[in-house]
Amino acid sequence: MVNNAGQLYTMEGVAAGLIMLLTAYIVVSTTSIYTTGDTHIPDMQLEQLGSDVLAMMDTPDIDGGTSELVGFVKKGTGIGGGNDLQDEFLANCKMRSGDPDDNLRAQVYLSYRTLGGSVNTTLLSSPDPWFTGRENTVRVTRWVQLSQQPGDMPGDMRTDPQAVLVEVLLWRA
Amino acid sequence: MLSLDFLAGFTIFMLALIMVVSMVPGLLAGLQSSGIDYDAVAYRTGVILVEDPGWPAYPQFEQPWELVDKDKIQRMGLAVSKDTPNVLLSTKVERFFQNSTKENPFFTPEDYRKFVIFGDIPYSYNFSLNISHPDGTYGLKQAGDPLPPGYGYIRRVVKIKEPGVAVIVGNTTSPSESPYWTSSPTMPTQNFTVRLNFSQLLNQSINTAYRIDPRTEPVNVTITNFEAYLNDTSGATLKSVTFRKWDPTRPGIGPAPIPFSYGKDDTDYYTLCIDGKPEFYSPEPNAQVSSNISLVLKPAATSLFPLDQNSILDIKFNFDHDPPETNITGTHLYDYVNVTRTDLKTAVLEVAIW
Repeated sequence: MVNNAGQLYTMEGVAAGLIMLLTAYIVVSTTSIYTTGDTHIPDMQLEQLGSDVLAMMDTPDIDGGTSELVGFVKKGTGIGGGNDLQDEFLANCKMRSGDPDDNLRAQVYLSYRTLGGSVNTTLLSSPDPWFTGRENTVRVTRWVQLSQQPGDMPGDMRTDPQAVLVEVLLWRA
Repeated sequence: MLSLDFLAGFTIFMLALIMVVSMVPGLLAGLQSSGIDYDAVAYRTGVILVEDPGWPAYPQFEQPWELVDKDKIQRMGLAVSKDTPNVLLSTKVERFFQNSTKENPFFTPEDYRKFVIFGDIPYSYNFSLNISHPDGTYGLKQAGDPLPPGYGYIRRVVKIKEPGVAVIVGNTTSPSESPYWTSSPTMPTQNFTVRLNFSQLLNQSINTAYRIDPRTEPVNVTITNFEAYLNDTSGATLKSVTFRKWDPTRPGIGPAPIPFSYGKDDTDYYTLCIDGKPEFYSPEPNAQVSSNISLVLKPAATSLFPLDQNSILDIKFNFDHDPPETNITGTHLYDYVNVTRTDLKTAVLEVAIW
């Protein structure tokens, strides 16, 4: 037996369903979702750039010459050392055909093996005053072969020929 | 028999379903990024340009892509070799950007798409190379269209390898102390030879980023202060410049001349300048030299020969006059001692695709 109350309940249910669907659609379509597939692209571009710059700084301009990178690392934290490395690294990163890409920042670290055999990491350049630790940074590294201990380095560093790891944190301010 | 309730409900249900299904593509559209594809193509193009020497390449083929006709090019890469990523060869760079900003560029947009961008979609592009010179200036090379918003992008930092030059400098204050000066020049011809010994030049212990390879780079020979070599005359007659290749490991085969026309100047193969004059001379100039000679033998010429690590290429400057007008004689080795090699230059290559 058909009656009016049943029809009303059915129509009410259908209408509620439609409203729910419409609400869900509006919510989803107006919310921008930054997927992981997108985030890696600027990171990759920055990492590639930093990696290129370190590799080119480690390529001597003349046959048999010393690379710029080794020259900077040999000076340690002294004059012509970490801070100049940071400046030169950033100058190369910022270079482009138009205006320089000025909002790039970097910090240089050096990892080495101590006299006790453990690995120590120290800041090679001055700390960036704007660095909070929450930046979306990329890390690029390069092994450097040293024939002696760099200047102005902590006393626990070995003095014999060794390989050290130059790490640069690079981010967009 | 169907009830009226069922019919009404089913109709509304179907309408709602159709509506929802039609909304689904719109829901997904918000999640996809239009930049991803362009960035990937720009990255791939950047890798080909910076880390690949292109194809054909030495030593698998006698002529690399920058010397062959367009229909033989497979891929355009700018690296010196596959072992030296990010170190670009200036001759490849010159060819890649040849007349790119002029009305008649060597490579058309279709060529760039076919040989370096690849892909089925006819992408638009912009390549730029900004070279940092030691004097603090920059040299910019560009190809492509102005950048629109929303393009894919990659930036690569590179070094540029440029050819070296052999400079022979006469000593004008004390001519007899000039290199290759003789007090008793031969008669009736006086010859001065620049020798390229490929067994020395193609020394495998030298990294390709610093190697002198006349098969891919121009050979530059400059004689300056030629006044020091003049034999009491105002000038000496340069009769001819000849290029001969021979192989000391094959004694039965004599020197062979490079097979190109000696009668006319051809800047694709060589340029010969005398006394800094703006015009180019043919290799048979019969011209008076009073102050300097500058010769550039281009890879297009040297690659006409199958040159290997056993080859020797002699560039002979022939002065012909009786009595002799010049005191220059001997053989100058074009090697790692006598050639001034140019330092690698830092540059940045940018690729934009849209």
